[in-house]
Amino acid sequence: MAPPPKLIDDVTVEVLLRLPPAEPEHLFRAALVCKPWLRVLCDPDFRRRYRAFHGAPPLLGLIPRRQAFDGYPAPRFASTTSMPDFPFPGAFDGHRARPLDCRHGRVLVQVWHERRRKLEYLVWDPITGDRHDLPAPDFDWVIYIAAVFCASDGCDHLDCHGGPFSVAFVAMATDLRKDIVKASAYSSETGAWSAPISLGDYAQHIRNALYERLRYGPFAQGRRGPVIGDQVYFALRGGNEIIKYNLHGNCLSVINPPPHNAYEIALMVMEDSSLGFAHIECCSLYLWSMKVDSQGVAEWVQRRVIKVETLVPTVDPSQGPFVVGSAEVDLKSEQMRKVDEPGDYFNVLPYLSFYTPDRGRLLSLARADDL
Amino acid sequence: MASAGSGDEKAAAAAMITLISSDNEKFEVTEATATLSQTIRHMIEDGCTDGGVPLPNVTSKILARVIEYCKKHATAAAGEEGSSSSFSDAAFLEVDRAFLEELEEFDDAFLEVDRATLFDLILAANYLDIKGLLNLTCQKVADSVKGKTPEQIREMYNIVNDLTPEEEAEIRRETQWAFE
Repeated sequence: MAPPPKLIDDVTVEVLLRLPPAEPEHLFRAALVCKPWLRVLCDPDFRRRYRAFHGAPPLLGLIPRRQAFDGYPAPRFASTTSMPDFPFPGAFDGHRARPLDCRHGRVLVQVWHERRRKLEYLVWDPITGDRHDLPAPDFDWVIYIAAVFCASDGCDHLDCHGGPFSVAFVAMATDLRKDIVKASAYSSETGAWSAPISLGDYAQHIRNALYERLRYGPFAQGRRGPVIGDQVYFALRGGNEIIKYNLHGNCLSVINPPPHNAYEIALMVMEDSSLGFAHIECCSLYLWSMKVDSQGVAEWVQRRVIKVETLVPTVDPSQGPFVVGSAEVDLKSEQMRKVDEPGDYFNVLPYLSFYTPDRGRLLSLARADDL
Repeated sequence: MASAGSGDEKAAAAAMITLISSDNEKFEVTEATATLSQTIRHMIEDGCTDGGVPLPNVTSKILARVIEYCKKHATAAAGEEGSSSSFSDAAFLEVDRAFLEELEEFDDAFLEVDRATLFDLILAANYLDIKGLLNLTCQKVADSVKGKTPEQIREMYNIVNDLTPEEEAEIRRETQWAFE
């Protein structure tokens, strides 16, 4: 029998590009086939092409944010692929780490520094292992939410590692015994927080909430807010009004939500980069998006209504759906899959990135051979 | 009458391209079929296809298969253009779906070749810059690599292992998870 044919280098790249990013083990096994394959896989050009070929990065892991009443459980990067968990930084020497946000390949972690008795922050890149420590913003706050995002101009955010980033911090603070909303932004390039700004009409929001519900939940929903360009959005508790923090314009404003009757809502970035608003009512997922016309007037448009009931498998139909853990709904295919076990989660941060073999011993071996 | 006839013939002839394989076999194809190849499209645009297009890297056996693929997919592309511009009702969508299914079946059957032919098709698709064919054939090889151990991949594709046992052991230690 004739020997099997050889796969030549040119087409090796074309073949390896087509291994699925959501199953990184295939690329790591291929890297061990021979040195030419190892070199192909460790070439920065391969990573660029792999990213361009597949577009959106896959889900590599989930970072659960546990409920506050759990105390400070050890934070964890729970891998959703066959790759092991990345060791979580910050939680050592009695320090207590809590993940706050995760976006553009980076994780924002709050660390209670036991010895210095103060809060500090770090931005961690699980893929490269880089960590960047940052101080707390320079004002007092009662409760806050924060977002980390890539600050590279013109970046498509499909695979950003190592470039500049920003951290947005929006907090309820007290000023002369009045509740106000304050915001500040950290830039990794200047290494400093911007001078805090405040939202003028927050008091009105509180008055409205008190008038309508006779109760007033503290500030914002603990969920991560979407980032569109350099605008960060958070939903307030109660009526789900939305706070927009425009970093470039250095201003805060309030957006009214679309008509809805749900307490729990989620903000998101839509495919056309508009702001999305989702809520579940009567077992249907309602999806809205904010349309801005040529005059700059914004309005909510209902985009989709998805019957969640028909997506969630139920054991006994008379019982209706019950919680069996976390699930994700793919809005394109309307498919749902279970992604985690049950737990008291505040929310879960998804970590999306490409994981390719250009690291560690594989990389040093590929480079040593280039010489 | 005669002049009009010869004009038609001329137009028809202009739309045909002659491809010449490495073993000097000539293939007459329509321009629509030939231009699925970006390489040939550029040659046509540059006006250097008179007297045929020599393809010294492609044998007649492989070129015949490549043309078979291009013919099928050129018809599909023409069909798609027609339907999207003028029809949108359900009946035509149904026809479209049936056609796409047929195309998928064609692709599946097209890939039923031995490994050497598959590689030659990849090389030809790469050289002729035929995106669909390159994607189809490379995905087939990628799928065959998935789930295999490095030894199995080497054996399937006749690859010599040039890593020393020490290097291999080091990498395996570091990426143990990928082999479990």
